[in-house]
Amino acid sequence: VSVLRATAPLLLALLVAVAPAIAGPTQQEIEEALTCQCGCGLTVHSCNHLNCGSGEPMKKEIAERLARGETRDQILTAFTARYGEKVLSSPTFRGFNWFAWLTPFAAVLAAAAGLVVVIRRRVRTTATAAAPAPPVPSGDVAALRARLQRELEQLDRE
Amino acid sequence: MPELGRLAVCLALLCALVSVIVSVRGALTRRGDLIRAGEHAAYAVFGLVALAVVLLLRALLSHDFSLEYVAAYSSSTLPTNYVFAALWGGQKGSLLFWSFMLSLFATIVQLQNRERNRELMPWVTATMMTVAVFFLGLVTFITDPFERLPNPAFEGADLNPLLQNYWMMIHPPSLYTGYVSASVPFAFAIAALATGRLGDQWIRSTRRWALFSWFFLSLGNLFGAMWAYEVLGWGGYWAWDPVENAAFMPWLVSTAFLHSVMIQEKKDMLRVWNMVLVLLTFSLTIFGTFLTRSGVISSVHSFTQSGLGPFFIGFLLLVLLTAGGLVAYRLPELRTSGTIESFFSREAAFLFNNLILVGIAFAVFWGTVFPVLSEWVRGVKITVGPPFFNRVNAPLGLVLLVLMGIGPVIAWRRATPRNLWRAFAWPVGAALVAGVVLLVGGIPFGGAWFAFVGGVFALGTVVQEFWRGVRARQAMLHESAPRALGRLVGKNRRRYGGYIIHVGIVSIFIGIAASSVFRIEAQQTMKAGDEMRVGRYTLRYDRIESQENGHVARTAAVLPVFVDGRQIDTLMPEKRFYKKPKQPTTEVANRSTLREDLYVVLGSYDPQTQLVTIQAYVNPLVVWIWFGGLILALGTAVAVWPTAAEREVRVVAPRGARVPVE
Repeated sequence: VSVLRATAPLLLALLVAVAPAIAGPTQQEIEEALTCQCGCGLTVHSCNHLNCGSGEPMKKEIAERLARGETRDQILTAFTARYGEKVLSSPTFRGFNWFAWLTPFAAVLAAAAGLVVVIRRRVRTTATAAAPAPPVPSGDVAALRARLQRELEQLDRE
Repeated sequence: MPELGRLAVCLALLCALVSVIVSVRGALTRRGDLIRAGEHAAYAVFGLVALAVVLLLRALLSHDFSLEYVAAYSSSTLPTNYVFAALWGGQKGSLLFWSFMLSLFATIVQLQNRERNRELMPWVTATMMTVAVFFLGLVTFITDPFERLPNPAFEGADLNPLLQNYWMMIHPPSLYTGYVSASVPFAFAIAALATGRLGDQWIRSTRRWALFSWFFLSLGNLFGAMWAYEVLGWGGYWAWDPVENAAFMPWLVSTAFLHSVMIQEKKDMLRVWNMVLVLLTFSLTIFGTFLTRSGVISSVHSFTQSGLGPFFIGFLLLVLLTAGGLVAYRLPELRTSGTIESFFSREAAFLFNNLILVGIAFAVFWGTVFPVLSEWVRGVKITVGPPFFNRVNAPLGLVLLVLMGIGPVIAWRRATPRNLWRAFAWPVGAALVAGVVLLVGGIPFGGAWFAFVGGVFALGTVVQEFWRGVRARQAMLHESAPRALGRLVGKNRRRYGGYIIHVGIVSIFIGIAASSVFRIEAQQTMKAGDEMRVGRYTLRYDRIESQENGHVARTAAVLPVFVDGRQIDTLMPEKRFYKKPKQPTTEVANRSTLREDLYVVLGSYDPQTQLVTIQAYVNPLVVWIWFGGLILALGTAVAVWPTAAEREVRVVAPRGARVPVE
């Protein structure tokens, strides 16, 4: 559990770190939030089909809407109303779509918790079943040297 | 001649069926003659499929447009090297090619094991030939590449222009090699489960095959990324397309296996887990083919779509049920009493490494199938695109990077504080210094910063391992430094090969982080003489140059590149118009340096107004990804090279004698 406690803040920090900065919406940010409908499977921002019948008008419209001072939400809602939810390049943070976002992390965390429990149980049974194994040699330099020599010889024999 | 090809495929299917039945019967009745017969039938499959491949190639090279496949995927003006690529450019050819590789690997495995693993071999042969029956069945009954057109075509429709690229010559074969060779460890796993010989033997026998498969999956993914980067022209190399994901997932699981197998060898733990990883890797290769072939999930790779989906799903279910059933049946025997003594041990570090690798594979799987799930549950089509995958996988990837630094140096069993200090003082110190330097140097605290610092840490542990190993040999054996390094690596090939691979992976991580976070983009419509700026570069549009031959027409913009007013290069991004499938493609002009790529695309050109639209990208450190691939290849070569001891055994052992080692 201590491992979990130690890694949870780290994970959180990472999540925060990789989340995009919260600032005014930019053209690129909105283009990346939308999927091009030309069949390329890329975001509107990435699609570079020659005179793409879908991407180009969408880029233009985003620029116009931004110029009118619309917010990110307003623009995305307008596109969703026209094309359906599939125009958004990633699932929304609403309802069933939470499963998309949370399941991978939940799975990893649950498996990590399971792993921790299993390891702890093994640690305990080992501790009761047998005397703790001698720790990794941490003696003086001579002892380490001797061990190195032994191991090197053994490796040479292999 | 095509009829001969069809006959060869039909006979191959028959031989594969015979091989399965005879091998299983031989194994059950322990009759050596039947087992040998099963193997001979498998050799025959290889011969027949090879003949079919040769005949299809012959038809392609002689432009026999009476064949549907030849007419659909080649033309008389297609350059010869791409005629070879047409063999795997379409679905029918690629399934035949797949069968060919499978029977080739089955043949090699049988030759390798003529005197070894005799208990396992009939099951190995039967398993591989069962897979062959599936693929040859498809080739025979559904996707016959030798199908005649009712009326021969005059000219072929040609290979998709996007596929007419040299990466296309090596990307699919690499990936196929990786995919198909994953069936060797799978076959040995099934054999181990069937015979109950669940010890180390099957794993030792397939270690090299697993590494081989992993290596080609790595290359296949990297070559695919290079292809996307050069051909698709959107400035990136990875779009989390379903088919890219399909190639990435088995790689992840296979990577997990290569690590956890070390725990089994050292401590006889994780037998069930390793079995599961091997079975999962193979299942994911079938799932990948399903994704590519079925069109269930829309993808840029849908060059070849068909109604094969149900067959693949059926086969996948058969594989999963059989494998799952066998594992459940052998579960009592598979359990081991291995112990873990502490969280601060290599065992624990490897377990968490496996957790993250399989976790990422699951996240990718989840994102890939979620649209189907959403439509099924809510009836609403949604898209799960690159932003999702990047956000979900970035944190997991960074944790993995840190674990990559911890795993190789933390002590087995239990690390004492002193041991931890000895192992991590320098790498952590180096990472901290790097972190501060990066912050001072203007790299903001964020995902990329984490990746760089984690990379320095992981690299630090590797460098420290090499340094200490060399110093120890110098001190004890009085060797010179280069000799000590050579012998150190030579005597522990797997270990140091693995470390070299880690260096390659760190390089790839750094390249990905830098190029995704710090890319600069610009787009501008220009007339002759206009200039545009992107990053520290200035591009001037001079003129258009055109060229034409029977196969393709090219239009190139000539753009001198300036830095600080000094011309450093001239880039010529092109548009190409292929004549047969009247389709334009983009030829990117890329000026690649260790520091960054200047990646320039000719967006459009209007002959009337003489205006061009140029998209320019500055992608930092992309070359590091490709260099990482090279280092990875070097490390793999070091790891698979036989050790001196193994070579000796091979030389000393008389032909046909039983060799005890491996």
